[in-house]
Order: sequence, then C-alpha cells, then structure tokens
Amino acid sequence: MSATAVRTGGTPGVSGRSRREGTRHAEVTRLLPRGVLIAVIVVLCVLVVFPLAYVLFGSVNSDVGVARGEFLPSSFSLANFAGIWTTVGLAKGITNSLIVAGSTAVVSAALAVATAYVLVRFTFVGRVTILRSLLALQSIPGTLMVLPVFVVFSSASTYLGITVIGTRWGLFITYLTFALPFSTWVMVTYLRGLPRELEEAARIDGASNLRILGRIILPLSWPGIIVSAIFAFLLGWNDVLFASVMTNPDTQTAAIALQIFGATQQGGALPLYGQMMAASLVCAAPVVVLYLIFQRYLVGGLTAGGVK
Amino acid sequence: MSGGGVPGGTRGRRSVTERDRPLWMLLPGGVLMVIIIIVPIAIGLVISVLDLDQYTLRQWLSAPFLGLGNYVEALTQSPLLRSFWISISFAVISTAVTVPIGVAAAIATQNKFRGRALVRSVFLIPYVLPSFVVATVWRTMFQPGGIIVNGLHAIGISSGLWLNGPQSYWTLVIVEIWASWPFIYLLALSGLQSVDHEVHEASALDGALWWKKLRYVIFPYLRGPLSLACIIAVLSHINNFTLPFVLFGVPAPDDVQTLPFLTYITSFQSFRFGLSAAMAFMSLILVAIPVFVYLRAVKLDTDEGGRK
Amino acid sequence: MGIKKTRTAGLIATAAVGALALAGCSAPANSNGSTSGAGKTITVYVGANTQYAQAQQQWFKDVSAAFEKQTGAKVAFETYASGNDELTKIQTSVVSNQGPDIYDLGTTFTPTAYSTGAFVKLTAADWKAIGGKSKFIPSTLGISGPDANDQVGIPFASRPFVMAYNTDLLTKAGISAPATTWDGLAAQAKKLTGNGVYGMAVAYKDNYDPWKYIWAMDSQSGNPLVNGKTATIDDATTLKAYQTYFGWLTQDHVVDPASVGWSNNQALAAFASGKAAFFPMTTATSIHTLDSSAVKGKYKYALMPTVPPGATSLPSGGKPVASILSGDNLVVAQYSKTQDLDFKLIKLLTDDAQQKIQYTEFGNLPVNASTASALESSSPALKPIVDASAASYATPFTGAWGDIELGLVNVVVQSIPKLAGGSVSDSSLKSLLAAAQKTAQSSLNRAK
Repeated sequence: MSATAVRTGGTPGVSGRSRREGTRHAEVTRLLPRGVLIAVIVVLCVLVVFPLAYVLFGSVNSDVGVARGEFLPSSFSLANFAGIWTTVGLAKGITNSLIVAGSTAVVSAALAVATAYVLVRFTFVGRVTILRSLLALQSIPGTLMVLPVFVVFSSASTYLGITVIGTRWGLFITYLTFALPFSTWVMVTYLRGLPRELEEAARIDGASNLRILGRIILPLSWPGIIVSAIFAFLLGWNDVLFASVMTNPDTQTAAIALQIFGATQQGGALPLYGQMMAASLVCAAPVVVLYLIFQRYLVGGLTAGGVK
Repeated sequence: MSGGGVPGGTRGRRSVTERDRPLWMLLPGGVLMVIIIIVPIAIGLVISVLDLDQYTLRQWLSAPFLGLGNYVEALTQSPLLRSFWISISFAVISTAVTVPIGVAAAIATQNKFRGRALVRSVFLIPYVLPSFVVATVWRTMFQPGGIIVNGLHAIGISSGLWLNGPQSYWTLVIVEIWASWPFIYLLALSGLQSVDHEVHEASALDGALWWKKLRYVIFPYLRGPLSLACIIAVLSHINNFTLPFVLFGVPAPDDVQTLPFLTYITSFQSFRFGLSAAMAFMSLILVAIPVFVYLRAVKLDTDEGGRK
Repeated sequence: MGIKKTRTAGLIATAAVGALALAGCSAPANSNGSTSGAGKTITVYVGANTQYAQAQQQWFKDVSAAFEKQTGAKVAFETYASGNDELTKIQTSVVSNQGPDIYDLGTTFTPTAYSTGAFVKLTAADWKAIGGKSKFIPSTLGISGPDANDQVGIPFASRPFVMAYNTDLLTKAGISAPATTWDGLAAQAKKLTGNGVYGMAVAYKDNYDPWKYIWAMDSQSGNPLVNGKTATIDDATTLKAYQTYFGWLTQDHVVDPASVGWSNNQALAAFASGKAAFFPMTTATSIHTLDSSAVKGKYKYALMPTVPPGATSLPSGGKPVASILSGDNLVVAQYSKTQDLDFKLIKLLTDDAQQKIQYTEFGNLPVNASTASALESSSPALKPIVDASAASYATPFTGAWGDIELGLVNVVVQSIPKLAGGSVSDSSLKSLLAAAQKTAQSSLNRAK
C-alpha cells in the first residue's frame, strides 16, 4: 500500500497522462454506464454550484433579502461591491494578505528546495528524524500554539527591542514556519523523482552545491516549487486564528476584514449580509484565480504531498 | 531539529556524497522551527502545569504551580472526553462519506468528454475556497429563515434548527463534507491514472461487466492512494478549527465543540490557559494515532539500491 | 521582498512625519510642565461600527486631528469585530505587556479587565486629569470598579436597553401604553398576537440577550445572582425567570416559533417588518434600521418592565432594574508609556463636544451629565432611553462574571432544541441550572 501511494505521488506530472488518452479509447476505459456517469456529474455539479450561486446572488441583494432567505434577489444592485471598500478596510486587508501570503509562498518554496535537496541527496545523522518531523509537525493544532507563539514574540520585544506583534513580519514568520514542513515534504517527494545523473556529472566537473541547486535542481523542479509555494500561500491566506491576535488595522488580513462584516453590535441592527457576500467573493477570488492558473500542477502536487 | 548538523554518520549508502554536505542549508528552516514551534511547545508544556488564568496572566511565570492538576481537571471535570468523542466521530463520519463521493467523481471524470476540464475545475472549487469564506456562506444559508430552512419548508420538510442543538453537529458534518470531498477525489483521480491502459483493454476484451471490472480490476489500484487520503483527511478533520469557529461562533452548542474549538474556548473565553494547554496536549494523543499510521504508510526514505 | 519595501517606506514615512512634527514651529507650549505629545501616537482599541462605518472612520480622523492640535500627539484607532476578538486582544496584550494604550470596553467586560490587574487604577489625580468624577452621570460609574475608591473604568458611552413597540398595532388593539410588569406585558402580547403578527420579538439564540433578561428579572426579585463569593443561580427566582422567558414561546405563544433560532438582529428585522408588536432588549442604535424600515414613524421606545414575573409590584429587596448598566468604559493599560497623554485624550473624549458627537453620529447616549441634560431637554423623544439609563443597574463586579454570563446563556443554548419542540421541562431546566451554578461557583472560587 505504501509503495503505491508514494510511487504515484512521487511521479511528477501525474496529470500529464490523461492528455495522452485519445477519445477513441474512451469506450475501453469507461468504468460506469453512461447514465450513472452523467447522474454523478450533474448531482455533484449542482451541489457545488448551488452555494456559489447563492453567494453571487446574495452579493447583489439587499441585507433584508438575504436575511429572508431569498435565492434569486428581489432587488438588484452593485452597491454592495462599492460599499465593501469603505465599510471595512478590505482593500488594505487584501493587500496585506497578498504581501504576507505572497512572501510566505516565495520564501517557503526557496527554503523548501534547499532543505529538500539536502535531505534527499545527502546522508547525515538525524536525517530520518527530520523527515519524520516534517510529517508530524503538519498536524500540530494551531489553538495550542497561539498563546505560546505570542509569548515568544512579545519576549522579542521585551528583551531584544524588536516589535513583532502587529507587524506583517510577525505573521510572515509564523506562516513561513507552519508552511515549511509541508512545502519541504512536497519538495522531498518531488526531488526523489528527479534523475541524479546530471548532478553527478556537474559535481565531477567541480560544481558547488549552490551551483548545482541553482543550475540543475531549480530548473527541473518548477512544478514542485509551484505546488509548495501555492500551499504556503493558501496557508497564509486562509488563517484566521493567528491573524486575529497578531494584527492591527494597518496589518489585518482579508480573513479578519471579512469577519467584521459579520459583526453585530449588541442590540444593534441587521448585519451587512449583502456586503458580507460580496466581500466573501472578493476574498475568495485571488485564491480561485491562482488555482485556475496552476490547476495542472496542483492536482499532481497535492497527491504528492497529500495534505491541505 | 538542527541537531542533524553533527557530521559523521555514515550509513554505507551508495551514491550519496559524504563530503561537501551543505548541511548549513538546513539552518534557516531549523532555526525557524525551533523558535516558532519547538520553543512555543515547551512554553505550552510549562503553561499546562500552571494555574494560569486572568488573575495570574500578567506575571504568567509566577502563576501557582499545579503539577498535573490541570490534566486531572481536564479529564474529570471538563467536557474534554465529550469533545474527544465529537472529534473522533466527526472525523470518521466525514471521511467515510467523502470517500465514495470522491471515488465516484473521479471515475465519472476520468474519461474525456466535452466540458470535462470545466467539470474538473468546478469539482475542486470547494477545496480551494478559504475555510472562513465557506463557513461564512453556509452560516448564512443555514440560519433560521434562511434559504435552506425555507427551501426545505417549501417541499414540506420542517427541518428545525441547523445552528443550535444536536442537529448542529450534522450541520458541521455536512459543511465539512462539502468542503473536503474534492481532496479524496484528487487522490482517487491520481490512483485511476496509474491504471495502465493495457489493463483496461484486457478487461474490455474479457467482456467483464462494469461493476466486476471496478471491483476486481480498478479498486485494487485505488487502495493505496485512498488509504493515504483517509489518514490525511482524518487528521485535517480533527484539526479543523476555522470551520466550527466561524460557522457557530462563541458560545457554541455543546454538540460542535470539537477538540480545537474546546481548547480555544477554554483559553480565550474562560481564561483558563493552564487547563486549556493541558487539554491541548491530551488531544495530541488523539492526533498521534493517525500521525503514527501516516508515518508508517509513507515511505520516509528512498531505498536507492532497490529502485535501480 | 514586498514586506521589506513597504516596511522601509513605512519607516521613512514615520520618520518624515516625526521630523515634520518636530519641525512644526509652534508646538503648544506646556506651561504646566506636562509632557509634550509631539511625535507620539496613542493607540485606542475600539469596536468596529459597521452601521456607521464611514462616520466612524471620519471620527477617528477628527479625534486625531483635534488631539494633535491640543497636544501634538496623534491618535491611532484599532478596531475589533466582536467581543471575542476584544477578549483575545486583552489577554495577549496583558501577557506581552504591549498593545493599545486605551481600550474601549463593553461595560460587562470591565470586571474581567479589572481582575487582570493590568489596567491603571484611577487615583484622585487621574480623575482630576480627565475633568473630575463629577462631570459624569453618577449611575454610569456603577461598573467602573468594585467600589468607589477602586476604579479602572471611565464611562465613555451609555447604551441602555429599552423596548421598542409598534404604536399602530398597540392602538388597534386598544392598548394605550406598554405594561410595566412582565406579567402585564405577556398579557398585552397575547392580545396583540394573531393575523401573522406576534406580540413579542425575542432572540433566543442571541449570544448576549438571554442572560440580560434573566439577570434583570432575578434582580427585580431581589436575587442579583452573585452574593459575595456565592453564586445563587440554582434559586427559585432564576427558575421562574427562565420559565417566564421560555413560557412566552411554549405557554403564551406570543413569539414566533422561528425565534428559537434568532439572534438580536433577526428579532429586530421581524419588528422592523411590522410582524411583532414589542421588541424588548434593543438600544438606541436600532433607530438607524427602524427609520429605514416599514415601521418608520410607527414605533416608540419604552422601558422594559421593572416588576418581576408573578408579581404586581416590586417585591421587597428587589431593584427596579430596567436595563443592565450598558455602554462603554475606557481603561488605560498599565504598560502604556504615555499615560499623561492617555488621560488627556480621555478628557477630550468625555468632554461635552465629543459626547455630543457620540450621540449625533452613533446614537450613543452621553455619560457627561451636562451633555445629557442638554440633550434630554432638546429632544423629548429620547426620554425613555434617558430614563432607562437612569434605571440601569450594574451587574455584579467580579472577575467571574464572564463565566457566569456564559453559564446563563448556555442554559438557553442547550435548551433550544427542546424549546423548538414546544416545551422545556422543569427537570431539564433544573439540571441545566445546577450545571450553570456549578460553573459559576467554581469560577467564583477561583476569583482572587
């Protein structure tokens, strides 16, 4: 079982195979009667699309309309999309998220390639332990970490005079660290699938490790790098827990800005449902676009590292 | 972790260079792990033996020492055991339901048809949407007088409350299933793609009935990737904090207080940081089981000799 | 790296601003020798106001500008989305000894904040710096600290809870004025129920509402739920309060059965669409929604009943509680390095001009006595709300209050499935009350 899992996962470009299948083989490879097949596709599409359509319609509806449970809006207005930028610092939130998650993606991918290179191509004491921790560390609950991480950061300010809390740096470092185990694991499985002949030839020619990494490994491993970068990006983009305690209005992320739309004052008025729906769309858009662009790599890479 | 930096471990591995090991490349990642993960875990351990609450928070290091008091209280006088049960059943049910859906979807989209690329993209959307967006949208849909209640009412079903009481547990399960089945789908897809075309042709020649072909020819190929997928899915269900947190808010119905949620409530609502840390460490035991299986299932080390 | 660039840019900008501020030729001369604020920034942590979002942003700018003119220091506002975020922020700031200088707290959070010991206990000199205790309406000081000499909270805004009622519906039913006893209110509500209209709009699922009803009814019966270090939740008066509260749905049938799943805003929506005659437990901030709804011009505010269920007059020992003491307090963090400036800012915020703005822009009642009396005489429609403010009583001042609140709400949260089924048995209620009592008592035992 394990062998299959890793072999399929470790092969780069898994999805490449499907493109080679011609339509004339369709009959041979079809696994279900046509009727069942269509039913499965239709049902699943409806289940997926319904909430998406609901958000889309809700975003042009009035607050009262959404509260009443309307699917098709009784009134149509794009005002919600205009309103979201002034009600809450959503633009700032999205900019912060892009900066923090983007930096996390780039840096974690870079560190992951280097770390994976060492782990895959060299042997040393503690190597297996590190590989093992890469997997185990992915499953540490964030709720356990919030307060202690906060304590560490606040000591940085007390003893070293470096302000970390409330800055984008604090979030960046946190996300980077939590993204690294997975990013590295993706690269480990990826690099294992790469032939080592080129490296060995280069090494015989006297190339340094950095040179081998930059000139040989890097160009060959873009698909893996993209996957590990995207998942680091998603980690930063999706986090609510750390962002809720480590940011201030200047550094708050999109996730936090969205929470504010749902906020209600005690004894106050109706939440801004319409704007909440519009903001949900806006917050999801970058991630969905990213995914659509890199879909092909992701499908292969997900199966390689196998964790969200 | 950076203890791996000690040189000299020789393991008679072929074709692995012993000289020039760029172990320094492990350093950045290692340092981050130590500062942001290892040190905070140690701090967490210290907190778990202290009577740390709002009265002692200000000088947290001088909070009264309780020994294992928090652990005993967590086991005997807190809802921890109930949360254990909620988390386990939630993870198992969610996984059990998503597997058939994911496999069916993979089988249905494995053959080319017009619009397949679109369907595949649509299928993955729930998975890439940020959790906080998913939860925000479903919360609005499930609220009383909202679209789901009204819709069911229109076809004569009185569905009761979705965000309160025992039924809220099923709300959580439903939304988790909606958001997580594409992951199983992805891994099943990669399993299907590893089926050689000859196998399809052979069974077509045999004239095997479709379900027999599925059962005896195709499923064996899926067992590996699916087992891995199940373990990872269970882990991510257990650790999912954002979904119940954003879906139900605080105070949440007892029925949806999963382990991470309970840990969060205990520290940030009730100010019982020591108790909460003790709970978190005990819930690590639960996480440790799938992690252990995961570590066994995944091949940590490539056996270079055997492969060539 | 993007971060680096913006960060550097930020630093340069900060430095530039600092330089400008320093260069600003005529910084106010401090004749009395107090610290000049030039180049300094005070951080204030306040709740995000989504209803008046733009007004709030503008207000932030105005306050900062006014304060800079006065002292040379700027004011930066940080906002939180929920009470939950607020608590978390307080906790992390307390642990790390850094964070906002001034917190704008909901009144009921004040005991919790006090219990951390991380906020400045106000000395006579501090009170003098903010313009003297006497400038505040005395009742608003009720939840500033455990006693008059030991206070951390400075009143900033008052938001008493009142009851909105639909004047059209009441007139049609021949009811001249809302009842002043809970029993009377239920009887009126019965009369008003029918034709798709319900007598009352009650938000059973709200995270805050339920405990306010229970505490108010209990206090009217003479049981404030905490007696020294003892919790008195498993008391006959509490049982009666819950029975009454649930009874509107299960016995009297005067509330929409769907309201078991409502939070306050959904109850407000029901009232705003004219589907409920009474809407207890709302504040003046609902004016905004109601004035743009179907009931515009057809509603008024009144005090909630002050006589407990089962009684026709206030029993001895009972207090005529119309509302919890509700609104905002300001507290100053001990770690703040700009405490002089903090108090100057608080003086600015609680002086007449700013207090007026709180009302005109955000619907918050003033805590400043002279502002309040001027306002009352200029707009008589506000009378019920001002009255409610005067008839507001502080909830018990203990660090355990947060847990007690949660416990009281939890009784409702866990009863909701049964409530939806049409009846909550006394035995299940009693066992839930016993659980709440246990939580409350153990929390009180830990109180220091």
